[in-house]
Order: sequence, then structure tokens, then C-alpha cells
Amino acid sequence: MQNRPTAAELLESLAELLEDTLLPALPADLQHRARVGANLARILGREVELGPAAAAREKELLEAVPAGDEEALWQALAEVVRADLAIAKPGYDSWEGE
Amino acid sequence: MSADPARGLADFLTRELGDQVTISDFRFLSAGARRRNIAFTATVGDTPRRLVATVVPPAVELMPVEAEAGVRELARAHGVPVPEVVATCTDTSYVGEPFLISEHIDGDTVPRRVLRTLAAAGTAEHTARRWGAAMARLHSVDPAQAPESVPAAGADPAAEHLAEVTAVVGELLADRPVFSLALRWLEKRLPGPPPRPALVHTDMRNGNLIIGADGLRAVLDWEGTQRFGDPMRDVAWPALRMWRFREDAEEFGGFADRDTFVRGYEEAGGTFDPDRYRWWKVMGTLYWGAGLAQQAAAHLDGTVRDIVMAASGRRVSEIEWDLLMQIRPAAKA
Repeated sequence: MQNRPTAAELLESLAELLEDTLLPALPADLQHRARVGANLARILGREVELGPAAAAREKELLEAVPAGDEEALWQALAEVVRADLAIAKPGYDSWEGE
Repeated sequence: MSADPARGLADFLTRELGDQVTISDFRFLSAGARRRNIAFTATVGDTPRRLVATVVPPAVELMPVEAEAGVRELARAHGVPVPEVVATCTDTSYVGEPFLISEHIDGDTVPRRVLRTLAAAGTAEHTARRWGAAMARLHSVDPAQAPESVPAAGADPAAEHLAEVTAVVGELLADRPVFSLALRWLEKRLPGPPPRPALVHTDMRNGNLIIGADGLRAVLDWEGTQRFGDPMRDVAWPALRMWRFREDAEEFGGFADRDTFVRGYEEAGGTFDPDRYRWWKVMGTLYWGAGLAQQAAAHLDGTVRDIVMAASGRRVSEIEWDLLMQIRPAAKA
């Protein structure tokens, strides 16, 4: 049985509460915290949906790296971090420069 | 800070200048966790003077206010644009904490606003060269001239910094293989002591600069200055991605490329070392990642229970990406 709203749906509602309803009513020195809170709720919403698959894939990728092969390790880690960023900061990995 | 810092500043300046000083236009410029900057107008007779007081709680003080004032005036004497220090005060009876007072300089300090101002004026390149030149002039100062209470780096600043950060990574990030990989990269390439140890600012990035449409007006926040440091640490730090404020392709501050900054640096007498620079850039990125982990830890153990500190823990992946991009293995032939 699936409860509705789902965890992800509730986290999005929480983000909206913080950002759209509460933030405009807050004094200026608290607004940043409300924004950060809303962002964290959205991170958790993505984690609920993407986290389990990302964790399984991370294990698989790292186990497949031959011992001592730093280049293969780099490739695997880049893929792991891309999956983490899809949760924590979507789009951050589109810049591939230094 | 005391309940009425405006009154305390007026009393201090009256005593310092020997004439009755009245204070107006009192406003807080920044509410940083460490230091508070207060802008105000001090009027003596008919002459108004726009000033800034920087109040330094002893708990977060990195160096005494007199030492910071001494370093700033030393840099200024060597042609680095720095707001002139008017007075320092360690008597806590005035505002409750030590402070220094300097002249007010108009311009933008908020990074995104800086980027807009420079884009609108078309002065980004000019500004970046001046910025590089300002840093080179600082590095031309004999560090032995700076006050002795300014912290000094050890004989090998790179090895020292790596050891400090390695300890934090071992404690807080031991389960994250990107950090281990980056530490191995750094150990393998330790640059050794700098050929010419310098007076380094350590945080001369977009956000600590006062910028106008005409370019660089002043360098702020001298509290982290270090004697006998590696000048490439200073050059590398403002090039980190988090100081580009979403303008990722512009390596320096989000408004200039490396060549432009380095041209300004070398024209003013600085010597750029690309390998050492690259090392310090990876080092600085790792240091920032360790700092984020420390903020999250301070939230978790209750030292600083704050949602912003908690959120820092979830920013570590950004740093991992930045590290991987900088230590990418050479492509296979």
C-alpha cells in the first residue's frame, strides 16, 4: 500500500511551506535559513527517489575497480559523484573544467 | 557587542581626536558569524567623515587588531589598495569588544553584484589585471617587516597545510574515496618550500574586494594574513570554483581567465609557477571540503546547532566533483 502524499510529495510540500509561505513573512536575518531549509527538503525528496539505486550502483562500480588502477578508480568515482550530485545539486556536474 | 555601539564609537572617537564627535548613518554592513562591520558617518565640527568599524569578538580573533592594522598599512605602503586604518581600540569598555576603524570606500562587495557591475561597465579584464597586480605588490613585501603577532607559516607551508587537512579528512571524511585519492595526488606532488616566502593574504577572492565600475578599489578582510607563506597559495585560492558564483568558465572570481590575472600579477613583479599553483588549487579545494565536513560535525555534536551548518554536509559532493576535475588522470594515448 502506498501512502499519499508520498515522502517525496510531502518533502516538496515542506519546501513550498518554507519558501513560499513562511519566508516572505520572516525578518531578513532568518530568510536565508528558510531558503536553506527548503533546499534541504528538496534534496531529501530527490534522495527518497534516487538514493537506493545510487547506493547500489556505487557499491557495484567501486567493487569493479581493479586494485591499484587509479585511472579506473577515477572513472568510477566520477560516476558515483555524478549520481550524488543528481540528489544534492542537479546540474553541478555539467561543468567539467577545472 | 554592547547594547549601544554607536554611543561607544562616538565616545572613543571623541577621546581619540580630542574634539566632540557625533555619529550618524549608523548601519550594519554584514552580519558574519565572525566579525561585524558597521558603516557610519563621524562628524567633527562641520566635517563629516565616512568610516567603517570592524568589531572582532576575542573568541574568533585570528590576530590582534593592532597587528591587522599594521599589516594593512604595510600593504598600503607597497601600493596595495586597502582602506586606510584610522584607529584601533582594544579597550572593551567602548563597544564591548576590540575593533578597528577605517575609511569607508564606496563600491560593491557582494559577488553577484560585482559580476553585474563589471559586465555592465566592460571593465572585467582591467579589474582582473589590477587584482593580480595588487596581489603581486603584497608578495613583494618583506614578510619580516610585518608585525610579529601575525601568524607565520613553517619552513614548508605546503607540507604543513597538507598535514593539517589530512588529519581532518582522517577524522571526518575517511569513508569518502575521492578525498583519499586527492590526498594521494597531493602527497605525490608536494612542491617543497617556496623559493621566496611571502606575506600572503590567504583569502583575496571575489567577495573580499571592493569593486566599482572603474575597477578594483580595495582589498578587504586581512584577518587571515600569514607571514612567510607560499605566494602560489594566494594566487590559487581565488581561482576555486566556489568563488566564481555560477560563472564557471571564468576561473578568477567568475569574471576573468587565468591568463589575464597572471598577466597583471607578473607585470607588477610577481613570479607565477603553474605546477605550484595547480597543487595549491587542489589543496585549497580539499581544505574547503574539510571545512564543510567540520561545519556539519559542529551541527551534529551540538557546538553550532544551525540548519546552514547542517546543509554544508550535503555540499561535500560539489567539492568531490571539483577535486576530480582537477586531478583527472592524463587521457590514455
